[in-house]
Amino acid sequence: MKRPLRYLSGAVLALLYAFLLMPLVVVALASFSGGEVLRFPPEGFSFKWYARFFANESFLSALMLSLRLALVSAVTVSVLATMAALFYRRLPYRWREPFRILVIMPLLLPEILTAIGLLFFLYRVGLGSSAFGLQIGHIVVTLPFAFLSVAAALQQIDSSLEEASASLGAGTFETFRRIVWPLIRPGIFTGALFAFIVSFDMFTMSFLLKPIGGNTLPLAVFDYLKYDFDPMAAAAATLSVGFALLVVLLVEKTVGLRRAF
Amino acid sequence: MRSSPWRTALIGAPVLALLFVFLVLPYGEMVVMSFRTPANGAPYGDAWTLANYGRAFGDPFYLGVLLRTLGIGALITSLTLLLSYPIAMHLARVSDRWHVFFYACVVSPLLVGVLVRNFGWMIVVSFQGPLNQVLLALGLINQPLRLLFNLPIVVVALVHVFVPFMVLPITNALRNIDPSLYDASASLGAKGYETFWRVTLPLSVPGVLAGVVLVFVLAISAFVTPVLLGGQNIVMMSSIVIQQLIGVFAWPFGAALAMALSIMTIIAVSLLTLIMRPLMRRTARWS
Repeated sequence: MKRPLRYLSGAVLALLYAFLLMPLVVVALASFSGGEVLRFPPEGFSFKWYARFFANESFLSALMLSLRLALVSAVTVSVLATMAALFYRRLPYRWREPFRILVIMPLLLPEILTAIGLLFFLYRVGLGSSAFGLQIGHIVVTLPFAFLSVAAALQQIDSSLEEASASLGAGTFETFRRIVWPLIRPGIFTGALFAFIVSFDMFTMSFLLKPIGGNTLPLAVFDYLKYDFDPMAAAAATLSVGFALLVVLLVEKTVGLRRAF
Repeated sequence: MRSSPWRTALIGAPVLALLFVFLVLPYGEMVVMSFRTPANGAPYGDAWTLANYGRAFGDPFYLGVLLRTLGIGALITSLTLLLSYPIAMHLARVSDRWHVFFYACVVSPLLVGVLVRNFGWMIVVSFQGPLNQVLLALGLINQPLRLLFNLPIVVVALVHVFVPFMVLPITNALRNIDPSLYDASASLGAKGYETFWRVTLPLSVPGVLAGVVLVFVLAISAFVTPVLLGGQNIVMMSSIVIQQLIGVFAWPFGAALAMALSIMTIIAVSLLTLIMRPLMRRTARWS
């Protein structure tokens, strides 16, 4: 490529990457502001908005609910997704694609439609506005992320390894424990991380299914932003940015980003 | 590996049960709800009617919102594609040493909640925000602009949300192109842009189609961004549906509106897939 053209394309790319990162950087920087109003660039540096965030009853209980939802979703979905991925591998060929599509359906369908369906259904069966109903919603939406991750890890396993194990006299369970499990563990871990972060950030589902008197962190931030525009919201939001960076780091360390996406 | 079909069925049962009860039945319930009558003091009545659909497709207001939502969705999808393609091309051929960094740049926004990213834009375009300050410093404007609560900021914020969804499938499609095709194109005398136009672009169509469908479906069902950044001025289908469900407790009509949105989505996605199919078939044997 000619040199001026290369500089031009480099500049365009730099702008595009800056566009991607700018809102995240701005939120994170604003949360460390020392001033009283949300201004950019922030005045001074302090942790006071984090201190106020952790002293705020409603934010704190919202954070606890969000963490609980995310944790339960991650654990439940890892177990379910692992079973689903093992099932998927053993299915006759022509049933595999339909099953895969069914499991990743919550990812392909707009979250708002799934949430509306669940709103009606949970009300019908007497679970309307319950914490259990919201947890179900989070599990349904996070399942595809874990499934894709475990299924990808399972696909990497050479089936001759399992045959070798079986021919050496190992039973199904023994083969799973000593051959399959160690090989898919990183995939399960990655899937659980994705499920955690997706649940932690989930908005529309929580908005429609939220239990009476219960708020998740994104809902609390949303309510707060309707009336206030100060760095406390930025502190709450930066927690989410921090989790995301942590997940990116952990995924890169375990299976590598390029393979995970 | 051979194992008893019963044991296999046992592994699959929990997931199938979960999805049947909490995905298939709820969608069925939504369809059923859209044919119910409204009632006072309860979310829905016992009788059946087609009137909800009559109102959803017949009332000029709701039809207008539906069409506008589809239009905004198409605009957002095109802009997202325009911004994503260069990033995908870069990501597909970036050296191993740097790939972690650039992948992280694309993936981290994906892992941060939509609400947080919208909030970032609220700060950027706020009255005393960095964008206004830069424009003032450059002398392009005399006084800060009111940039919140209008269509452009909703579109920008949604494009930002969807770029990673578009970049990843296109990157995967580009990485699957056999590099010898580029050499062949060059040795046949093609210039850089000709190779792009006749080799790279056609072979990336499957990735583009996947990204376009995903982004379009997500764009027309977006809820938080239009509400937070558009305020009262930008009315999209999702906020109307939610208003019917949560605000006025008109569940049957809300369900019919949601169904209208789904039906239009299915039609739009099928049309797009049909249009792209000849191109996909032509390039299929190369990828």
